[in-house]
Amino acid sequence: MLLEGRVAVVTGASRGIGAAIARAFAAEGATLLLCARGEGVEAVARDLTSAERPVRAMRGDVSDPVFARELITSARKEHGRLDVLVNNAGILRQGLIGMTSADQMRELLDVNVLAVMTLTQYAVRVMEAGRFPSVVNLASIAGTQGMEGVTAYSASKAAVVGYTLSSAKELAPKGVRVNAIAPGFIDTDMVRGVSADWYERRLQSIRMGRIGTPEDVAGVAVFLASDLSRYVTGQVIGVDGSMMS
Amino acid sequence: MSADKLRQCFSRSLGIPLERVTEDLAYNMIKEWDSVGHMALVAEIEGEFDVMFDTDDILGMSTVATAREILTRYGVGFDAA
Repeated sequence: MLLEGRVAVVTGASRGIGAAIARAFAAEGATLLLCARGEGVEAVARDLTSAERPVRAMRGDVSDPVFARELITSARKEHGRLDVLVNNAGILRQGLIGMTSADQMRELLDVNVLAVMTLTQYAVRVMEAGRFPSVVNLASIAGTQGMEGVTAYSASKAAVVGYTLSSAKELAPKGVRVNAIAPGFIDTDMVRGVSADWYERRLQSIRMGRIGTPEDVAGVAVFLASDLSRYVTGQVIGVDGSMMS
Repeated sequence: MSADKLRQCFSRSLGIPLERVTEDLAYNMIKEWDSVGHMALVAEIEGEFDVMFDTDDILGMSTVATAREILTRYGVGFDAA
């Protein structure tokens, strides 16, 4: 199994891409600590728990620095280290440039950017160079290519890309790899919450002719978390079926 | 005991003899305690005392004495000198 013996934290793991990553990691033998704000993360943990590998769930908001510290501290206390951090938790808010409130902009940056940076700060301190530690950040095609109607979200995801590229350079000498996944249009509750018109236009823009699945993204996360990618850092991998942004 | 453990953390993480770890040893005073050494030091202290520092505390940990003060705030007890 590709992740046997590896300790991983996955944020936003109650549903969608985060839950798919948790399932894929569990199937590959990872030891998991999951977190999410809302209900559901405990159920995911229960489903994935086996006699050999209990899966722990913590409920909390990753944009709360106290919770972020508790999350990483728990991984260290329970397992002595952390090998993989998946910064998946994120929010999407639609809004044209002139219709996005300051509160919406702050909320997007708090959850999608500041939480990623805070968790990474804590996580890298409990990662051991010899174990090919890996940080996997969830960006978006909106952050790499731009997308009308979600400008503040796009900005937050572009920040994730910048943070990924820079932290990969800074952490490479420490043996910590940092990469990002930039999903396109993926079938989750998050995109189902957008307007029907926007949804249909996005679907028509995918050259491979279908919406992506959370499992399409999870496979790439497994690769980036595993030793298969031990010489890969500072990369942003699109998972978008050749989507025209 | 905690004071000894703290000095040993400095010695191990910075790769310097124990006798060089004095109360007034300060960040950037010796070449071993640069920014890279600082992160190794933080990780060593966090592991030894089972704490995880806030970023502000990491930035403020500029001497052996301040490291002890910060650890005290995290509930680590030190005998009076």
